[in-house]
Amino acid sequence: MSGATFDYLTALIVEDNVHMRTLLHSLMTALGLKQVFEATNGEDAFVVMRERKPDLILTDLSMKPVDGIAFTQEVRMSHKSPNPYVPIIMITGHTERHRVEAARDAGVTEFLAKPITAQNLFLRIAEIIERPRPFVRAGDYFGPDRRRRADENYRGPWRRHEDVRSDVEIR
Amino acid sequence: MTAHKSDSQIPHKRVRAAKIPPGVYPVFAAKDAARLLRALNDPEIIAQAALVIVSKAEELRIAVLSHVERMAEAARLSNHGEVFAQAHEIRGLAGCAGLVATGRIANTLCKYLDALSRAGAAPEQSVVALHLDAIARAAHAEDEATRLGDTVANELAALVDKKLAEINNSATR
Repeated sequence: MSGATFDYLTALIVEDNVHMRTLLHSLMTALGLKQVFEATNGEDAFVVMRERKPDLILTDLSMKPVDGIAFTQEVRMSHKSPNPYVPIIMITGHTERHRVEAARDAGVTEFLAKPITAQNLFLRIAEIIERPRPFVRAGDYFGPDRRRRADENYRGPWRRHEDVRSDVEIR
Repeated sequence: MTAHKSDSQIPHKRVRAAKIPPGVYPVFAAKDAARLLRALNDPEIIAQAALVIVSKAEELRIAVLSHVERMAEAARLSNHGEVFAQAHEIRGLAGCAGLVATGRIANTLCKYLDALSRAGAAPEQSVVALHLDAIARAAHAEDEATRLGDTVANELAALVDKKLAEINNSATR
């Protein structure tokens, strides 16, 4: 191993399945992260997040009593959230379109379908660093811009009421 | 009587959205980001991480078999919600356990149960039973990831596509 270690970079893993949680923890350790925190559902995760202020969150979707969607919304929207901009990667077996859209609309940064591979997980994290997306606050949404591609030559009508104007204001 | 306007006729009330560009909001410190990126692209670290998954395969395979048993029990009780929950756990773990066909078949079963649940329809017992049988056999097979496993996964996926098309057709009639 090349021996990269990150003393201060922290990750939070939110996963109710002990096997997957352990696996993700080991992958983060293999990457060199020394501080990896765990929670088994969204409710506990928010408590851990407020205490530890992680730099990166990997979360499952289906959990009880609070799932990954509600947790993501709380991270993004709650006034108690210590960092509404924290990158959130949702890792789930739920690949049905409506669930992927729900995750996107909750404000996840990246979506990774199980089964995971080390390479796919690392690619998602690299994507966050190499191609960070702007954050958008519009109506009841706050999170990464849900449009990944912007066509500068687009001259058609705006399709959404909340289309972003060029003279945007920052809160 | 009030005439309804189409969406294109209604003047849009523009809601001004705030856009916060990267760099304004915190992600990783620049120094950490550069080092992390190097680590993420380091072939040695990627190989090390891949080995982590390989080293967990047997543990994950045992976990999959446990979920297969629980899924069979849920099916005996006609608890389709629990069948879905167990199949969902299986599709999440199976790939990392080296049980590729098992994961694919579990995914097809999830797709079927999810679609029927959303349509408010009851699943056909025979379709569920076929999947349960195939998942159990595949998960226990030594040569799970063979062409036979693939063929069964493909055939069941085709069956579910056909069943879901039937539901869609009857809904649009």
